[in-house]
Amino acid sequence: MRKLMNAEIMQHDIKLRQMGADVYVINSKMCFVIFMVGKHEIAYVYNINNKGRYFLERIKPYPLALREFEKEDDVIDIIEIDLEQFKNASNSHNIDSFIEINRDFNMSLRRFEDLFLYYNVPTESVNEIKGHLEKIDDIIDQTRMSAERLYFKKNPDNL
Amino acid sequence: MQSHLIIAIGVFVVTYILIMSEKVNRTAVAMVGAFLMVVLNIEHQEQALKYIDFNTIGLLIGMMIIVNIMKKSGIFQYVAIKAAKFAKGDPWKIILYFCVITAVSSAFLDNVTTVLLIVPVTLVITDTLNLNPIPFLVPEILIANIGGTATLIGDPPNIMIGSATGLGFVDFIVALGPVVVVIFIVTMIAFKFGYKIHYRASEENKIKVTKMDEKRAIKDPILMKKSIVVLAFTILGFVLHQKLGYESATIALFAGAVLLLISQVDVEDIFIEIEWATIFFFISLFMLVGALEEVGVMTFLASKLLEVTQGNMVMTMLVILWVSAIASSVLDNIPFVATMIPLIKNYGQMSGLDVTPLWWALALGACLGGNGTLIGASANVIVSGLLAKHGQKLSFGYYLKIGFPLMIVSIIISTVYLLIFFA
Repeated sequence: MRKLMNAEIMQHDIKLRQMGADVYVINSKMCFVIFMVGKHEIAYVYNINNKGRYFLERIKPYPLALREFEKEDDVIDIIEIDLEQFKNASNSHNIDSFIEINRDFNMSLRRFEDLFLYYNVPTESVNEIKGHLEKIDDIIDQTRMSAERLYFKKNPDNL
Repeated sequence: MQSHLIIAIGVFVVTYILIMSEKVNRTAVAMVGAFLMVVLNIEHQEQALKYIDFNTIGLLIGMMIIVNIMKKSGIFQYVAIKAAKFAKGDPWKIILYFCVITAVSSAFLDNVTTVLLIVPVTLVITDTLNLNPIPFLVPEILIANIGGTATLIGDPPNIMIGSATGLGFVDFIVALGPVVVVIFIVTMIAFKFGYKIHYRASEENKIKVTKMDEKRAIKDPILMKKSIVVLAFTILGFVLHQKLGYESATIALFAGAVLLLISQVDVEDIFIEIEWATIFFFISLFMLVGALEEVGVMTFLASKLLEVTQGNMVMTMLVILWVSAIASSVLDNIPFVATMIPLIKNYGQMSGLDVTPLWWALALGACLGGNGTLIGASANVIVSGLLAKHGQKLSFGYYLKIGFPLMIVSIIISTVYLLIFFA
């Protein structure tokens, strides 16, 4: 019910403002998009608002950080490419491991954040974690050079 | 004609039962019922549209526009936090001040809007004080319904009565204002003693309330100033509307339009917030009751009422007051009042009596009756929903134990008041 939703927003607004925030409430529509690729569910959520900004986030099979777009077409393009890539990847016999590793990365990221926010972490431990990450990056680079490229519609954003 | 009569009564009764059952959306049912009257040729579309009271509709829309723009400024939160700080965090003083704010707001805004504005602030304050919010919200529900009784624009039944009779803002406040003040005082005394143990907070938490910054609640100071000016002129307009020869809807819609223009808010955003379902519910009810008038049901019922009461004004007034109160405590008071208006009008025409006291009895009964149960008024249902979202349950039985006796007390006070001043 819209009235209850507005009252809840007002309650949050009061609390957040008392915490020192500036709060902007924008009318928008939230869209959930779900595809089935083999046995895997690929799901996205995006938000359209009248300020002409679009916020897209993949939520399944593992979360992908929120991105902001200026055009509706950009959102659809990203989903289209993402979906095609998942369809390609689903043909690989490593798909389950690939999804599992991504989920593990996300979990490790959250655990690292907790470690950083809740504990006084010694510099040696930070350097050790950094060293392990660099090793993982090296393995990714080596694999990229030796593996056959399968998708050519666009170049990788982060490799 | 006989078949038209039977069909009209049948459609009306079935629609009414479905609305009261709350099993289906009230607006959807009322719209089907209203247009069924047209489709079944009980009334032609043109006649049906003539029964729609556009003054009531205009007044509701105008006030919704004003409130939706005003609340964007943060003024209501500002006033409430300021009041809580002025009370120095003392729970009893906070609820007393909040109830004064609620009563005044609900006299000028509709009750649902009032509770939607005051409840979120109350929940923040009770969270800060680490207190159960129910002993704060139950008084606010009752006071919202009580405050709304005082004016022409405070509660939809009054808007409908004012529009149908020509009774103006000043007429309402003069006739109903005094009794509302008495009921407010008696109700607050009852809560002061009834909820005494709940209005205690630790000094540490009281200090937290005093440290809140009301200025942080203001989102748009310029909009706030513009809104206050327009609201002040709107209230002045209501006070003078009869002298100026304007309908109350003209005042509300003009003020709403001016505020839309000068506030420079997104007009679409404001129109999204207008409660179109409520507006169409009203439109449909006017059409439904209009169909009954068209086939002569209202004239028949009025003649029966006259026969039973034999034109005894005092008896009729008290019957209307108590029946309205009891009916409104369990039923939606809007369709009830929509039906009673033509009935009383016909009664007045047949008897040749001045029926003004009957309008006051209807207003008091229909508005105050809503306090009787948790489903008696929209404001009650809304607060219960907000509490559920906050993880608290306001049960029907719990509310009944508090609301019903206080509603009966308010109707007893109204009875005495009507007998002294209008008998």
